[in-house]
Amino acid sequence: MERYDIAIIGTGPAGVSAAITATIRNKKIILIGKKDLTQKLQKAHEIRNYPGFPAVSGADLAKALKDHLDQMGIGITEDQVTQVYAMGDYFGLQTAKHQMDMLEAEAVILASGVVQGKLLPGEEELLGNGLSYCATCDAPLYKNKTVAVIGYSKKEEEEAEFLGEVAARVIYIPVYQEETGAMKNVEVVRAVPKAVRKADKERQIETDGETITADGIFILRDAVSPGQLVPGLETDGSHIRVNRQLETNLPGLFACGDIAGLPYQYIKSAGEGNVAALSAVNFLAAKKAAKQ
Amino acid sequence: MIKNINGDQFGEVKDADVAVVDFYADWCGPCKMLSPVVEGISEEYEGRVSFFSIDVDENQDLAMEFGVSNIPNLILFKKGEKADQSVGFKPAEALKGWIDGNL
Repeated sequence: MERYDIAIIGTGPAGVSAAITATIRNKKIILIGKKDLTQKLQKAHEIRNYPGFPAVSGADLAKALKDHLDQMGIGITEDQVTQVYAMGDYFGLQTAKHQMDMLEAEAVILASGVVQGKLLPGEEELLGNGLSYCATCDAPLYKNKTVAVIGYSKKEEEEAEFLGEVAARVIYIPVYQEETGAMKNVEVVRAVPKAVRKADKERQIETDGETITADGIFILRDAVSPGQLVPGLETDGSHIRVNRQLETNLPGLFACGDIAGLPYQYIKSAGEGNVAALSAVNFLAAKKAAKQ
Repeated sequence: MIKNINGDQFGEVKDADVAVVDFYADWCGPCKMLSPVVEGISEEYEGRVSFFSIDVDENQDLAMEFGVSNIPNLILFKKGEKADQSVGFKPAEALKGWIDGNL
């Protein structure tokens, strides 16, 4: 596996800005996110405080950012990072497309935005104790058992189906409006989850209707909180704890944009992307010097 | 050093003063990442803590006995008794903090 100098996670103004500066500084980067950058920016009605663009729609600003990347030959890798591992002398990135053959980078810049939505009551207490966020990781532990799956988007149906191949019984609770597709060995229950809890040897999901009981619970959503994304990372509520150089408590890992704290402003994110990239460049130089 | 053991060798864990057992599986990404981190710190605890690894696929009864429902799962034993549990990946510093807190 080739190792990148810097992996940049997120394609909002912070991630794009970090990618531009890192590329200007001749670093080998991978920019992971979405080709249309971010839905949040795409849908922004009008932005009036981004210097150089007196009154710009989010869609137009996104297009300008994308054009800038294109002009510099910076590509976007469409993938979803599920976990970042601080290995000591490098970082391993587990993604939807790289479950076992992980991506590797010397430094990482997190620019993945803020997590929308709240955790269910009981979720944090149960995590690792019969509750998992990763079907492909923990499914085989539920061979011949019953699992309940809460899916926050239609694409999680694939994961539920995968669980269906392993577990004896899969109860799937979709938390979205669309109709569910055909899934083998998966029972669909339409209900609104209210809380999760442990009851003796079993795990329960309390809903607006029936209480669902299973041996294990899987909660599958697009975004995970920063502390879950990077084990060992110090957070401050829903934000990552950073200093003025946008360094986190893990050497070589930087954060910028909304995920690094308020205010949620596009121009602040873009500015921070620049700072984070320069900090990462300094980190790489110091690391190289220490090795020689 | 980490010693890979099976159920019939579990007596070695029971006999150790302090033992850390890494419950893992070959198909588990986080396990693959955690194992070199555990290996890396194991030298620092030589003579004080014994390190073992157990494949949960081949030792489902042990996994059940110790309540391993998510992996990777590190269980710390003191004189053969389960004293603490750490679920998921941890960087070296955090892992050392966890072990030190139990010594």
